[in-house]
Amino acid sequence: MTITRREFAVGASGVLLGSVAAPFVRRAGAADSTIRIGVVNSMSGGLAAYAQEGQPAFEYIIKKINAEGGIKSKGGAKIELIQADDTSQPARTATEARRLITEEKVQLLTGTILSAQMLALTPVLDELKMPTLSVWAGGARSNYMFTLGYPYDRGYAQSMHDFVVFLRDSEKFKIKTAVMGYSNYEAGQQVNKFLHEKLKASGIEIIGEAPLDTKAQDQTSAMVRIRSLKPDVVVGLVTPRDGILLHQARYNLNYHGSIFCGGTGGYSDLSLWKDLGPEIGKAVLTKNLFGMTGFSPGAKVDSMQKIITELRDVAKLDRIGQGAIQYAQAGRVLQQVLENSASLDSEALLTAFKKVNIPFGDPNLYVAKPKGLQFAEDRLLVDGSAMFIQWTPDQQQQVVFPKEFAQTAPRPRV
Amino acid sequence: MRQEFYKTLMSPVWLVVLLLAVVVPPLLPSYYLHIVILSLVYVALASAWNIVGGMAGQISLAHSLFIGTGAMLSTALLLKLGINMWLGLVISAVISGVMGAMIAWIDFRFRLGHLSFVLITLAFAEMGTVIVEGWDFLGGASGLLLPQDKGDFLAFQFGGGIGAFWVMLVLAIVSILINVAILNAPLGYYLRTIRDNENAARAIGVNILRYKVAAMVISAMLSSVIGTAYVRYLTFADPYLLVSPIIIIEVVLFATVGGLGRAYGPAFGALLLVPLGEILRGKLGGTLPGLHYFIYGVVVIAVILMTPRGLLPLFEKWFSRARPKAATTK
Repeated sequence: MTITRREFAVGASGVLLGSVAAPFVRRAGAADSTIRIGVVNSMSGGLAAYAQEGQPAFEYIIKKINAEGGIKSKGGAKIELIQADDTSQPARTATEARRLITEEKVQLLTGTILSAQMLALTPVLDELKMPTLSVWAGGARSNYMFTLGYPYDRGYAQSMHDFVVFLRDSEKFKIKTAVMGYSNYEAGQQVNKFLHEKLKASGIEIIGEAPLDTKAQDQTSAMVRIRSLKPDVVVGLVTPRDGILLHQARYNLNYHGSIFCGGTGGYSDLSLWKDLGPEIGKAVLTKNLFGMTGFSPGAKVDSMQKIITELRDVAKLDRIGQGAIQYAQAGRVLQQVLENSASLDSEALLTAFKKVNIPFGDPNLYVAKPKGLQFAEDRLLVDGSAMFIQWTPDQQQQVVFPKEFAQTAPRPRV
Repeated sequence: MRQEFYKTLMSPVWLVVLLLAVVVPPLLPSYYLHIVILSLVYVALASAWNIVGGMAGQISLAHSLFIGTGAMLSTALLLKLGINMWLGLVISAVISGVMGAMIAWIDFRFRLGHLSFVLITLAFAEMGTVIVEGWDFLGGASGLLLPQDKGDFLAFQFGGGIGAFWVMLVLAIVSILINVAILNAPLGYYLRTIRDNENAARAIGVNILRYKVAAMVISAMLSSVIGTAYVRYLTFADPYLLVSPIIIIEVVLFATVGGLGRAYGPAFGALLLVPLGEILRGKLGGTLPGLHYFIYGVVVIAVILMTPRGLLPLFEKWFSRARPKAATTK
């Protein structure tokens, strides 16, 4: 079959006319008993891994809420999810949010929304006054944005600092010097700033920095620098991709002179073994390495264990990592906001966000938060703490910190 | 030059544009107004780039450096040193002009071929990215967030929405008119001579360095000014968008699809492709992620295969064919 120029012109005109006419075509209104939630995710592009893992868990929780009678305080209203793809570009997060709010008339917004996307989204949320829950942002600049992400300061930096000090003071590891080894992107830089100060204040000498170029195909030069400085500990926020390259370089150089501890994906993602292979994984992940994480299959948290089992056996998800748990938690937070909100208007929803409280021990608390889940004045989590794990040769994780969730003591230095 | 330029300037088309500009934006929903503004940003950027890329035939990828300078530097000057953004705009534009002149001089001094020029300018763009991401003053990898736009004109605020539309419309029109002016001035003839055969141009006495520097400086300064206005609209100065070579690759694509080297070609390309890309993503992105890229790619490939010189020449051809027919039927 051939397409003539005329046919092509007609088709192309159709596409363009459709685009132009779109704003004037009225959307078939959703039933009154439906609450529309806009979900801006990076479904394509460099950050797609977050949503690809998290979105199925989120959809499962929402379906479950609907199946159990919807939002009871709103007459059993069902939640409808309206999806959008920001292609991993912050400017497009803002564009898609604007579309969801003004065209799709969503009542709440959520999604991966990492820190750069959070910043790009800020003016849109302030302008359109849309209550929003970010699954991963490390900060919240708009008054309408709340986030489940670890705060840079009291989340990532504090957790890493506390663990290093725990190793030194409680487990008697010799830790006097540190090199900051972090992925050189916005979150990595932010966490590094806070962590640097905290470690110095605790008497640990920072003898150098080894920022990991996020575009590099190899991290050997960073590892050579670390080897030449030979610090007691290498610490920082590392992305999964940089982590894989760093561990490969460590294996190639056969370097075991420092303790490596950091988070999150680059040290504790369940996919690390698959990408590194069992030989490299065993050689580097199980020796002198501890990873920060908000989720571990072995953590002593009943509700976390239950949701893992449910997502695996009922929802039949094959990827259940930190991303899936974080998104599942977002579903429960949104449920509580909608249940507790006096109405569905912006200010009422905002008030309900401020009152969110999922205490430790609640079956709907899936993440490991000893103080439960609440939002502070800055709209970040009150308890931003995380766990630290060590890997076993059979590719399992053991939680070693904090005490509440620990399965075992940290393995001594090799 | 003057006759052609003033003829364009006095064209009744501008009255239609002005009428549409007054009537349509207030009627548009916020999302579609945003797409219009974004289209105007790219019309301006593609037209600014066309001076170097289309008229002089130098495929410069360094323009992200100029856009980024306009965006990141003016924002940093305001946030870190309290310098008014109008002044920041001027400072950034001057620095971009100087950088543009340097690149043009390097091109002339080392007689870079087309490929070498592309690679050198890409290297400059990457250097710009590395500097911005590594320098706290410019916001590092985290970028910078401008204060809310409250419409204070003296503070380079236009009130968002409609205000931003007018700013971008003015910039787009100015960029197009500069293209028209250059194309009909001796500078335009010299640039096209250089593009078609640089050695021949040199042989007949064209001052290559002078005209290459002139084109690059005008284009760089214009790109920088557009960058400053764009960041004011976005509010968030995102280094991964504004200093990334990806932005300039998009601009090159729009200019190529519209018609390189023509005054209205790049604008035409941007006006078609920006809304198409945005609306396709909006309609398909959530349910079928990635499909919008595929459809967009197919449309671009189809256009380039059907009309390698761009869409505008094709439309002009159709138009000129249709006109005599209309005349004879009368």
